[in-house]
Amino acid sequence: MRRSFFQRHRAAFERFDGILLQNPVLERGLVLAPVIVASYNYRNSLVLGLSFILITFVTVLLSSFIPRRIPYTVRTILYTLIACGVFAPTAMLMDQLFPGTVLRVGVFLPLLVANSLIVVKSESRFHKQSMGRMILDLFCNTLGFCLAILVVGILRELVGSGSFLGSPVQGMPAAPAVLMPFSGFILVGLLAAGVKRLRFRLENPGAGREEAAGNPD
Amino acid sequence: MNAFLDSLGLFFQDMFTYAIVAVFLENTIFSRALGVSTALFSVRKKYNVFLFGMVMTGIIALSALITYFLYPLVNRLSFSYYVIPAVYVAVISLVYVGALLITIRVARKRREEILSIIHVSAFNCAVLGALLLASNAADITLGGFLGFGIGTGLGFTLATFFVRLAYEQLSSRDVPASFRGFPITLIYIGIVSLALYGLIGHQLPF
Repeated sequence: MRRSFFQRHRAAFERFDGILLQNPVLERGLVLAPVIVASYNYRNSLVLGLSFILITFVTVLLSSFIPRRIPYTVRTILYTLIACGVFAPTAMLMDQLFPGTVLRVGVFLPLLVANSLIVVKSESRFHKQSMGRMILDLFCNTLGFCLAILVVGILRELVGSGSFLGSPVQGMPAAPAVLMPFSGFILVGLLAAGVKRLRFRLENPGAGREEAAGNPD
Repeated sequence: MNAFLDSLGLFFQDMFTYAIVAVFLENTIFSRALGVSTALFSVRKKYNVFLFGMVMTGIIALSALITYFLYPLVNRLSFSYYVIPAVYVAVISLVYVGALLITIRVARKRREEILSIIHVSAFNCAVLGALLLASNAADITLGGFLGFGIGTGLGFTLATFFVRLAYEQLSSRDVPASFRGFPITLIYIGIVSLALYGLIGHQLPF
């Protein structure tokens, strides 16, 4: 029932694909470093997720006003410099909202200025759309990143530290190895497989197994 | 003369030590996940791994060299944390444009391939991350800064090579469709990362 609903409203759902089915982290493998290494608790994830939304949204929006007649190399440099300009107030705001967390996430906050959505996808995706469509797509993509990093952070905090949103969970054993980067790779890989399976099921209603449907990779 | 030779020896010693640290202990992909998207992109697009790594190493090393002299000036500022990314991006931009101009003038063979590699490898987390991490190391010398930059590039090449070796198998029909390609490649990198973690002598914390 749910699958046929998706099929009937497919065009409408596609506008919001960036949130889940075309998630920049889980489906397209972009901006992986902060998710894999720095998001080992909800607080780090929240700071990185909110910063990503602010830096990427404002940068891509502002950079859409840069004329296309400027050479590609110069445009790319300008996009990244705009991101650096947006980074400063964003980092100050995060420092006010979450004291101490900005230092804890280390280099992963300043690294957001060179994220793939700004450097690569601005040109190849966002700036090719109309303004309204671009804003919606950009918002869905940045929100998709924020949700992905929050899920990873909350899961790793729960299993790795035995706490949920900063509060210890009674009787929950902690497995600190889950906080290490290799666990981040494995967890993101498993979540990516889950999203891919969901996409197959929604796009091929009636197919019991995605292999039987002959889905391309 | 002896003093000069001593300082030269110290320079290369620092450079070698930091390069080894960056390749194995602090591997840009296996330990820090910096540049994973770029590595996966280069594997998917079937770029020559070693040419890609060479270009990336050159860009990081040159950027590190310039950054070493700029960092003390910027670090004096009370708000240095907020301006350092802009300064480093400006340095990378300079190296990026320089690399493009040199390639257009000098390269005769594979010019288009090198140009497209430069476009992909200039602005990414591996390059900016290497500069930010090297700046965080206390009392790092010029040799150390340069060595860390070169090591990061070599570590990236080594990691990309490992991913390239397995990518065909990981994308084959033998792998369940949901895991095929990107998801299983991430799990593979995680397992290699775990192996490297153990190989360098770490104990699991549980």
